Amino acid sequence: MAILVVNNISKHFGGLQALFKVNISVEAGTTHSLIGPNGAGKSTLLNVLTGQIEPNEGSVVFKDRPLLNITPHKINQLGIARVFQTPAIFPEMVLLENVMAAVFASRDGAYKFNLLESRRHAQSVANFAIEILEQVGLQHKIRSEARFLSRGDKRRLELAICLAHKPSLLLLDEPTAGMARHETESTIELLRSISKKNMTIVIVEHDMNVVFALSDTITVLSQGQVIAEGIPDHVRGNPAVIEAYLGKEHA
Amino acid sequence: MGIINRGTIHLTVFALIVLTFPFWFEYTGGYAGLDTKIIIWAIFALGFDLLLITGYLSFGHAAFFGISAYATGLMLLHYSSNIIEAMIVGVVVSTIAAVIIGFLTLRRTGIYFSVLTLAFGEMFHTAAVSIFSGLTGGENGLTGLPTPTLFGEKMQGSNVFYLCAIFLIIGFYLARRITRSPFGLMLKSLKSNQTRLEYIGINVQFYKNSAFVLSSIYAAVAGSLMVIYEPYVATEFLEWKTSGTLVIMSVMGGVGTLFGPMIGAAFMLYFENVASVFLEEQWLLALGIMFMAIVVYLPGGFVDGYKRMMRHWVKKNQA
Ligand SMILES: Nc1ncnc2c1ncn2[C@@H]1O[C@H](COP(=O)(O)OP(=O)(O)OP(=O)(O)O)[C@@H](O)[C@H]1O
Ligand SMILES: [Mg+2]
Repeated sequence: MAILVVNNISKHFGGLQALFKVNISVEAGTTHSLIGPNGAGKSTLLNVLTGQIEPNEGSVVFKDRPLLNITPHKINQLGIARVFQTPAIFPEMVLLENVMAAVFASRDGAYKFNLLESRRHAQSVANFAIEILEQVGLQHKIRSEARFLSRGDKRRLELAICLAHKPSLLLLDEPTAGMARHETESTIELLRSISKKNMTIVIVEHDMNVVFALSDTITVLSQGQVIAEGIPDHVRGNPAVIEAYLGKEHA
Repeated sequence: MGIINRGTIHLTVFALIVLTFPFWFEYTGGYAGLDTKIIIWAIFALGFDLLLITGYLSFGHAAFFGISAYATGLMLLHYSSNIIEAMIVGVVVSTIAAVIIGFLTLRRTGIYFSVLTLAFGEMFHTAAVSIFSGLTGGENGLTGLPTPTLFGEKMQGSNVFYLCAIFLIIGFYLARRITRSPFGLMLKSLKSNQTRLEYIGINVQFYKNSAFVLSSIYAAVAGSLMVIYEPYVATEFLEWKTSGTLVIMSVMGGVGTLFGPMIGAAFMLYFENVASVFLEEQWLLALGIMFMAIVVYLPGGFVDGYKRMMRHWVKKNQA
């Protein structure tokens, strides 16, 4: 069953066609990669999915619900979480607070006027936040401020923030960019364990090791259009894909 | 630790300092009544901090202070000298204005928000001295108010002081609770990364508006108390200078610390009083220099300075 269906989405910025009649269907419980050269429109597509950008045409359906014209926070409350291309965390707050904010948001919804509730007494919230931080391997840093983390750890933290919501769809924009080799390996392991918990993952990634290690399905975008789609083995040898990445003479 | 936790201790110490303020303030050279004025401005600054923790710098909070002051004054003048109705009307009217202005200004961030609030503030000031001058007394302010009363008791001298002190203590208790609540965490997150906050499913606009209105309620209480303290409404209550003073106090004391802005308020009023005696009009220049020095060398204000000193002291004693 498809959890997310992208129908005929187009988006142009002035004269630049960033997306052109894109159709993608993501099956529930799978890991679906979105690859393509720089400027292919991958991040733009994620922006459409999370309500940041209005497409010029087309529709998006998530769990049988149309997603367009809904604000980002509502889309998030519906169960779509996103890791950005540049880590979006709360830099001045300690790790525990970073994740607790997300756990509270998941517990209380988009807005709650709970002025007099004590955070310190919200033990179950803190425990869950610590559990998630353990899951991403940051348990030994919960009291340090997020801005002091390495780039790789910032991404882990952002992932932890996203997991706090127990989303049914996780969008990842280059989760291993800027990571050292061993960090990338452990991120692959982490994402694998997450996807086993019946979560659907859409991942934008340039590192082909990551893509082939994780994907059930791969969609290739180039200049705003889908040029290939299928299981990893099918995409790997596709001449159109090689051409898009390396130029015509290599095809 | 059971019943006696750190929160209780902080609050008790704070209450003791505030309640005993008149006894020791007498020896510091301030004029009689300056202590009350300090308490009122501390309420104003304390509430302002609830907005500042979200990272939004309003230059128009004089509006809520002033609107409440005028409403309170008009109630005292035309309705009854009883402060209860006057205060309630003052705060309600001002809060309604805050809901509307917050809604209109919080769609912008950074400098645009600040300039918009400044414009709204000036709009109210201009209105008070022009089209509404029949009601407000124009440039002369609202004069001829009766001595306010509470249950038949005249509100003068130490009565006013303790009335204000109680509001400050309650205000401090609430502000502390707010900053320690999940709601307070959202306000802090708002300053840190608004996009991320949206992307954890938070309605950012609602939280901003709430912080704006909460801070305006403190401003309104302060404005109302100001009229009870001195039964007269000056047009300068609504002026941008009042908003500016509030900002300077908060920055000097330490934004986002709750204590800081209150200390900033005390410092500034006291400094104005003492320094203007021998520096006369030059006191503002001295203040300006001090303000700049703090912004440059101690961006966290007095509270940060105190923390640094304590850290230094601890280190020295460990060595
Ligand atoms: N807000 C915007 N305004 C104007 N142009 C934009 C905007 N966002 C993206 N673009 C343009 O649209 C095109 C697609 O950009 P996008 O960020 O989606 O690419 P991408 O596939 O994510 O690339 P990368 O791998 O480099 O991250 C690019 O040419 C980009 O410059
Ligand atoms: Mg991108």
